[in-house]
Amino acid sequence: MSKTIDEAPGAVRSARRAGRRRMSSRSKKEAFYFWLFISPWLIGFVGFLLGPMIASVYISFTEWDSFTPPEWVGLDNYVKALTGDPVFWKALGNTFYYALISVPLGLVIGVWLANLLNKRVRGRKLFRTFIYLPTLVPLVATAMVFKMVLAPSGPLNELLGWFGIEGPNWLLDPTWVKPALIVLSAWGAGGATVLLLSAMNGIPRELYEAAEIDGASAWRQFWSVTFPQITPVIFFNLIMGLIGSFQIFSQVYILTAGGPDNASQMMVPLLFREAFSFYHFGYASAVAWLLFIVIMAFTLIAFRTSRSWVFYEQEVR
Amino acid sequence: MENKIRRRTLVQAAATAGVAVPVLAACGGGDDDGNGPLKMVVWGGDLDKETYQARIDLFEKANPDVKIELQLIPSDQYEQKVQTMIAGGDGPDIMQVAEGVNTYSSKSQILPLDDYAKDAGLDLEERFGAVGTLYSYEDKVYAIPDRSGAMIVYYNKDLFDAAGVEYPTAEWTQEDAQAAMEKLTISGTQWGYGGAGWWPQWWSFAYQNGGQIIDDSGQPTANSPEVVKALQWANDLAHKDHVVPTAAEYADMGPDMGGDPAFAAQKVAINTTGFWAIGGLLEVDFNWDIAPLWRGADQAVSAFGSGLAISRDCKNPERAFKAIEFLTSADAQEVIIDKAQDVPANLEVQQSDAFLTPSWATKPLNMAAFGESADFIFRAPFIPQWNEMQAAFDDNLGTFWNEGGDAQTELDKIQTQLESIITD
Repeated sequence: MSKTIDEAPGAVRSARRAGRRRMSSRSKKEAFYFWLFISPWLIGFVGFLLGPMIASVYISFTEWDSFTPPEWVGLDNYVKALTGDPVFWKALGNTFYYALISVPLGLVIGVWLANLLNKRVRGRKLFRTFIYLPTLVPLVATAMVFKMVLAPSGPLNELLGWFGIEGPNWLLDPTWVKPALIVLSAWGAGGATVLLLSAMNGIPRELYEAAEIDGASAWRQFWSVTFPQITPVIFFNLIMGLIGSFQIFSQVYILTAGGPDNASQMMVPLLFREAFSFYHFGYASAVAWLLFIVIMAFTLIAFRTSRSWVFYEQEVR
Repeated sequence: MENKIRRRTLVQAAATAGVAVPVLAACGGGDDDGNGPLKMVVWGGDLDKETYQARIDLFEKANPDVKIELQLIPSDQYEQKVQTMIAGGDGPDIMQVAEGVNTYSSKSQILPLDDYAKDAGLDLEERFGAVGTLYSYEDKVYAIPDRSGAMIVYYNKDLFDAAGVEYPTAEWTQEDAQAAMEKLTISGTQWGYGGAGWWPQWWSFAYQNGGQIIDDSGQPTANSPEVVKALQWANDLAHKDHVVPTAAEYADMGPDMGGDPAFAAQKVAINTTGFWAIGGLLEVDFNWDIAPLWRGADQAVSAFGSGLAISRDCKNPERAFKAIEFLTSADAQEVIIDKAQDVPANLEVQQSDAFLTPSWATKPLNMAAFGESADFIFRAPFIPQWNEMQAAFDDNLGTFWNEGGDAQTELDKIQTQLESIITD
C-alpha cells in the first residue's frame, strides 16, 4: 500500500511499474500529510468498526451471555437460525415484505413529487419545504403521531370511511401491521424527493427544447428526457433505501415491539432482543451476519442490473 | 497496576470537574482496598431518584466514613446498561434487581448474601415476612427485598354508587367481580374493568385457580386446565362479555392507553395495578379507594417489587451489605412511603402509622389493603430465562388479546416453547 501513496493525482499507471525509487522530499511530505489527515478515520474505522466486526464474526460461532466466557459452538447458531427458529424466518419474511414494497413505493412517490415540484407553480418553495419537513421530525415523535393516526377509529380510517372502505385495526392486526409500517415509511419520502428534484434541476434546458421541437408530449418528455437523466439519483436512493429498510428498527421498536404475534418482527429488532433481552449474543451475531449477507446480495443484484437502466451522460458506451 | 492508577486519576479528575463519575469508574471508585464510594444503580424516574437519594443521605449521616454514589438509569435501558457495566468488569457495588434477578445469579454475577445476612444478624423472615427469600436461586438468597407491594384493586366509588354495587373486598370471588363489572359497564362509554392482559393480572387468576406457570420442580405447566381457564376468563371479559375495553377500543382513546390512564379518566370502574397509580390519582375529582384483589378457589395475588443485590465486581461486599442492611431498615424505608414512591418491603414500616395514614393522602385510603394482600402473594417463577418466557407469552398472545380466541390453543404452543427455553 505504501508503494503507491507517493503517486501524484492523475499520474499515469506505468509510473507504478517503474520500481521502487527513493521518495522525493516533496512526496514524503505529501505522504506524511496523507497519513496524518486520514488517521482519524483510520483509527475510528479499525477501532470502532473493523475490530467489532471481526469480534462479531468470532462471537457468532460461540454461545455467549456477555457475562461468562464465550463457548465455541461452531456453526450451531447459523444452523439454529436457518433450521430451528421459526421466528427467524418470520422476521426475515417480514423484512423482505417491508423492504421490497416500501423501497419501490418510496421511489415512485419521490419521483412523482419531485416531478410535480419541478413545474413552475406558485408557492413551489413552500411546497418543497412542506414535503421535506416530515424528514426532519424525529422518528419517535412521528411514531407517536402515527399511533393516533392509525388507531382503529383514527383519522386514516375515517378518511377511508368517506370512500365506503372499512379500515382495518392497522397496528393490532397481523395482516395490516406491515402495510401500516410501509405507510409510515412513505411519510419519509421527502428525503428522496429533494435529491431527485435537484437532479431534475440539473437537466439542461436544451434537451427539453429539442424534444419540444420534435413534438414530444409532456409524458414523452418525462420518459425520454427526465427519467434517464435522473436514474443515477434513483439508483443511489434505491441502494440506500434497500440498506435502510432491511435494517428497520425504531419504527418497529416504538410502534409494535414486533407484535402482534411477531407479525411485524424484523431482523434488527429480533437480533436486538436476542442479544440484550435474552443474553444470546452468539445467536444475535449470527443473525446479524445472515442479515449482512442478505443486504449484500440485494445490493449486488441492484449493481448488476444497474448497467441496463442507469444512464450516466459522461459515460461512453 | 498502571492501569488502575490511571483510572483513579481519571475518576478524580472527573469528580473535581464536577462531572458525575462516569460509568467506566471502577467499583469502589478505583481504590484498591475498596474504601472509595460505593456505586449504586437503580432504575426509574425523578421521584425514584429523589427517594433513593434521601435514603442514602440518611445512611451517610449515620456512617460518615462510607459514601454512596447513586446512578439512576431510565427503566427501559436499565438491563442493557447494567449488563454492559458487568460485562466490562465495572459492575456496580449495589444494584436494584427484580424479576430478572436470576439472569444474574444463575451466572454468578451477583453474590449470595446468606452469610452476610447471618454476620449482620439480619433475619430476613422477621424483617420482610414471606418475601424475605423471594430473590433466591438454588436455595441461596441473592437480593434483599427493598420495595414490595401486592397488586391491588382500584375502584371508582362514584361509579360504584351510581350503579348500586357494593365495594370490592378480598372475599369477592371471580364471579362476584364479573357480576360487578357487568353492572358497571355502559356500552361504548364505560367499562367495568381495565383488563387483565398483563402477566401480574391474569397470572393472579391462574394461581387463584390453583394453577402454576412453572411448577415446583421447575417444569412449565402453562397449559394446565387451571391456567387455561384463567386466561380464557381474562380474555372473554373483553371479547365476549364486553366489560373490559378491547385493544381497539383502547387504541381509540389515545396513544399508549391502558387500564391506569383509563381509570384516571373514569373510563373504567375497576383497575388492578400496583402502588404507583396512587400518585396520579391524588388530584382527581372523583372518589376512589383501594382494596385487596378478589379470589378464586384460592386467594392469590402477584406482587411488584425490587431488591438490592451486590455485584461480583464489588471489592468490599461487607461494606456494601452494611449499606443494604441500613437502606432496608425501618428508618430508611419510611422515606419510601413518605415520598409516596412505593410500598416499603420492611414489615415494620408497612404496619406503621406513617404507612397506614400517609401524610400526602388527600382522602382516607385503605392502605391496609397492602398488608392484607401480603398474606396471599404468590411466588412468581423468577427463572433465569424470565425475559424469554415473557416473550413466549407475548409472541403468541398478541392476536389473542387483540381479537379474542381460544386460550387452550395458544397455551399449548406456549408450553412447547417454554419447554425448549427452559431445557436450553
